Amino acid sequence: MTGMSLSRMSTVAVVGTLVVLLMVAGCLGNDQTTTPERITVTGSTTVLPIAEQAREAFEAQDASAEIMVSGGGSSVGVKAAGEGTADIGISSRDLKPAETAGYPGLVKHHIADDAILLVVNPANSVESLTPGEIRGIYNGTYTNWNQVGGSEAQIVVVGRDSASGTREFFSEFVMDEEDFVRTQEEFNSNGGIQQKVSQTPGAIGYVGLGYTEGVKPLALDVDGTDIEPTLQNITAGTYPISRPLYMLTNGEPEGLAQRYIEFILSAEGQEIVASEDYIPVRG
Amino acid sequence: MTGSTILETTNLNLWYGQKHALIDISLQIPKNKVTALIGPSGCGKSTLLRCFNRMNDLIDSSRITGEILFNGNDIHDPHVDVYAIREKIGMVFQKPNPFAKSIYENVAYGSRIHGVGDKKELDRTVEESLKGAALWDEVKDRLHEPALSLSGGQQQRLCIARSLAVGPEVILMDEPCSALDPIATAKIEDLIVRLARDYTVVIVTHNMQQAARASDCTGFMYLGRLVEFDKTTKIFEDPGEELTENYITGRFG
Amino acid sequence: MARDFSIRARCQNFGWPRDRGTPEIGGPATGTKRQFVDWAVGKLLFVGALAAIVAVFFIIIFLLRDGYQIVLETGFWNFLAGAEWNPTGRNPAYGVFPLITGTLLVMALAMVIAVPLSIGSAVFIAEIASPRMKSVIKPAIELLAGIPSVVYGFFGLILLTDWIRVTFDQPSGSSWLAGSILLAIMSIPTITSVAEDAISSVPKEFKEGSLALGATHWQTIRRVIVPGALSGISAAIILGMGRAIGETMAVLMVTGNAAVIPDPIYDVFSPVRTLTGTLGIEMGEVAFGSTHYHALFGVAVVLLFTTLAINSAARVIITRIQGTQGTARPTPSGRVKAAILHSTPYQAITGAASRITHAISAPFGRLLPPRASQRCAFLLVSLSVAIVIAALGVILFEIVVNGAGAISWEFLTGSPRDLGRAGGIFPAIVGTFYLVGGALAVALPLGIATAIYLIEYTADTALTRSIRTAVDLLNGTPSIVFGLFGFAFLVLFMGFGVSLIAGQITLGLMILPMIIRTTEEALRSIPGSLREGSYALGATKWQTIWRVVLPPALPGILTGAILSIGRAAGETAPIMFTAAIFSSRFLPSSLTEPVMALPYHLFVLTTTIPGAATQSYGTAFVLLLLVLTIYLAAILVRRRYHRATVM
Repeated sequence: MTGMSLSRMSTVAVVGTLVVLLMVAGCLGNDQTTTPERITVTGSTTVLPIAEQAREAFEAQDASAEIMVSGGGSSVGVKAAGEGTADIGISSRDLKPAETAGYPGLVKHHIADDAILLVVNPANSVESLTPGEIRGIYNGTYTNWNQVGGSEAQIVVVGRDSASGTREFFSEFVMDEEDFVRTQEEFNSNGGIQQKVSQTPGAIGYVGLGYTEGVKPLALDVDGTDIEPTLQNITAGTYPISRPLYMLTNGEPEGLAQRYIEFILSAEGQEIVASEDYIPVRG
Repeated sequence: MTGSTILETTNLNLWYGQKHALIDISLQIPKNKVTALIGPSGCGKSTLLRCFNRMNDLIDSSRITGEILFNGNDIHDPHVDVYAIREKIGMVFQKPNPFAKSIYENVAYGSRIHGVGDKKELDRTVEESLKGAALWDEVKDRLHEPALSLSGGQQQRLCIARSLAVGPEVILMDEPCSALDPIATAKIEDLIVRLARDYTVVIVTHNMQQAARASDCTGFMYLGRLVEFDKTTKIFEDPGEELTENYITGRFG
Repeated sequence: MARDFSIRARCQNFGWPRDRGTPEIGGPATGTKRQFVDWAVGKLLFVGALAAIVAVFFIIIFLLRDGYQIVLETGFWNFLAGAEWNPTGRNPAYGVFPLITGTLLVMALAMVIAVPLSIGSAVFIAEIASPRMKSVIKPAIELLAGIPSVVYGFFGLILLTDWIRVTFDQPSGSSWLAGSILLAIMSIPTITSVAEDAISSVPKEFKEGSLALGATHWQTIRRVIVPGALSGISAAIILGMGRAIGETMAVLMVTGNAAVIPDPIYDVFSPVRTLTGTLGIEMGEVAFGSTHYHALFGVAVVLLFTTLAINSAARVIITRIQGTQGTARPTPSGRVKAAILHSTPYQAITGAASRITHAISAPFGRLLPPRASQRCAFLLVSLSVAIVIAALGVILFEIVVNGAGAISWEFLTGSPRDLGRAGGIFPAIVGTFYLVGGALAVALPLGIATAIYLIEYTADTALTRSIRTAVDLLNGTPSIVFGLFGFAFLVLFMGFGVSLIAGQITLGLMILPMIIRTTEEALRSIPGSLREGSYALGATKWQTIWRVVLPPALPGILTGAILSIGRAAGETAPIMFTAAIFSSRFLPSSLTEPVMALPYHLFVLTTTIPGAATQSYGTAFVLLLLVLTIYLAAILVRRRYHRATVM
């Protein structure tokens, strides 16, 4: 008898949790009355904030639109757009030769620019670095802050992972494609670098314009003139370290995808770009 | 009672939570004799047995009043070392429970935990204990094989050898033959009688013949009370209580 | 009659022996039907048990499919033993040797920290704690398993690395040590929980037998109970290692990810990079089809085989340990066994193994009198629980203090706005439910079927060995590899797209080995006499399993399910390429749509969205609360069973 009641209880217990979960799933899933037009947007985490904020504003205007935004990285964006698993791919880098060859139909939409800032811990006395000094730090020539005008402290070099579009840009633009010092600590997000630099006195890192809380952005010393990474300087092009951000579609966009990209490129959309600390491409 | 007393209880009461399992038990267990405790299931005889080496301490809800004296000392005295008590009062269980170790290591276990590390001394203890438990001849060539490869009767004698190895004065046996065949049972009974030369044995049994054959004294328990306690011959031939007589003659319930 | 006949006919088509139904006994109808059910269930379980092998097969195929080019390009030896990993340098280098070293170092130190603490905690819970204390501490430690790895990583990044930097006066706290401490904390609940089950299931008779000889409680624990539970404890450690080696999200946030070999090799403050970390940080943005992309799949293959090597080694050791336990029945090959038992290499291995257990369980065994040594041992054991509970306390405290403020009606029922800096997380909560529920629906039937098949239906054959190996492999397969596989196979090859079902299957495969392992362990602890008792009454195999074996095994099975739920709910890596999207206004209406999920939401909030700290903590808090609720429900169910089984 005990066996009977226990085996019955086992059904209740093991399957019960499951059934409840699935029933909840079933009930909640079917409450949609309209049939919205849907697109998916996926790719670079750098571009994600723009895509997401634009989605919110766009959906507020167009109730039938449903835009689903996810991250995963620039390559996911290229791949997804190329393979058709997403309607729009977002990328913080240009297409690689292999990608252009593999997906000849991809169309690039330049929607914004992103500046890259060198940041140090607020306790660091250094205010600016020359491009040569930055390169020296990142290739391992300089290992102590007193070699570049700071106080005696070991430099903790922090950078992005080797697949990152940000790092690729940094490597080409700042490093002249020289190898990074092997002890460089690597993080896969702007937030990670920001966090690391903000709590490590000897650290230096590079992040997007939006990630300056708790860290000190360095000015760029070009031929003896310090160029602060301010919005004006960046927009005007005087602060040189910036790169384009793209939305990608397989062929020319149509329907909702087209309207969404147009919205981002509109004045209202470009305001959103600026409010998220990116540089608008249309003023 | 003749001879000296080794274990003595006075007004012993025990509760498991709300259940009053032992009621006012007073008895004296004679030294170097075999004492049997009989009675129907649930009468408290095993519980009483487990009081003598304080195994009931393991049950959180158990509570005891009254006195248990071992060689005149209260075993519940706060200064008494419970482990020393169990060293002096060994126990053999209903189901043989050899550890998942070799035969040798099972017997040596007790010596090892009490600090004996010398190989020669261990060898000697193991041999003597196995001989004492009448198992030596059967296992002397396979001491390092797993204890669980022995037969049930051999396992039980191994458990007896295991408790002999720590040098006890009293051996408590809780229905030691209930899982064994008649031949193995007979061997154990012989062993019990022989053990009584050097040790005091207290045995709980359901088997009336066993009590009659192997024991010197017998206590009959019923519903947590000790109904009668006397020489075995007296209990079986001329019981003082009607309850005892009914039980022994099988006219019970 | 006609129906009866058709069943019979079908049975014969399936190869069911004709002469099994004996009409004289039991009557034709019941006999035939019962036996058909028995036969069918056996086949069904067999098919379920193949799932693990099939999964492993597909994982390996799909990893090799994208990974073999790297070997063509660099050469096998240069890839495996190359000392430099620099895929985007001017002269790209794809040497994984530093990554393998980093993985092994981080895991080894993590185990050095976690194993003593876990076994100490398990002993404390099973043997020393009062029932009341046990009822608090056991779930508390299990809860630790429910904290998502992203939260651990976030903590590691904010508190742990800083603590190491300041305490040991290092320029940077991101280090091997940080990774190991974090992994230790993460694997402790798994090891403790499973080890505790093993210790609790050591027969009471052993304990009484030892105590009756005057052994102290500690001597009994050290010499009888822990050795008796050794196989379960070893299984626990392997599960823990599986968790440690497979961890991605937390590790990559604290080890610094520099692809260097510590110099000197014991420099625990050196940054290191693990194989999983490499996949975790580089996979997201690598260009598809590039050499770098193939190299990463190559890394995944290396990771898989490293795991296999470690697991096999561990399995060999366990088998040897079990050999000395003497549980083996006398067999014709007894003499062979005895010969092996006395061979020198074998004794060396078991000697080492038992010495390790002794070193863990008795640091001062002989030096002190039994009572004092018991006091010291209990002190240490209690201390290990205190450390574990303190770790839990610190993390919970942070989450609750910082997260409770974010909780509001809107937060719980609304959709996210302003990049998750405002609005709510309702779609993510529901999405997590969908994913976990789906994963359980996939993994529970398959897992329990596999375990029953392995324990009840077969002896040690080549097939069961391959199934067990497959389960080991799955268990050691890092969650990020499941993510890669899910993406390559389910999303692209099968054409599911980024969808709920892809995530559910991926998560289901990930928790499958844990369910199999714990179910196996639970079934193994049911004494054979129970089965024989049932057979003796004329029950079929399946009736015996269903009515006699499964009910008392249920608490153990539930423990596995509980741990799996915690793991599935908190994982980011397997769903980030397969199922998760950052935001959605609606809930998915079919299995082919993507969903929001709490851990992924948390991951994006903490790493990508500036100024969302409150919402991050709030999300972590909700995730924790959700897992806590599931745990609590399951723990209550388990306790009821426990009582029912005892009575």
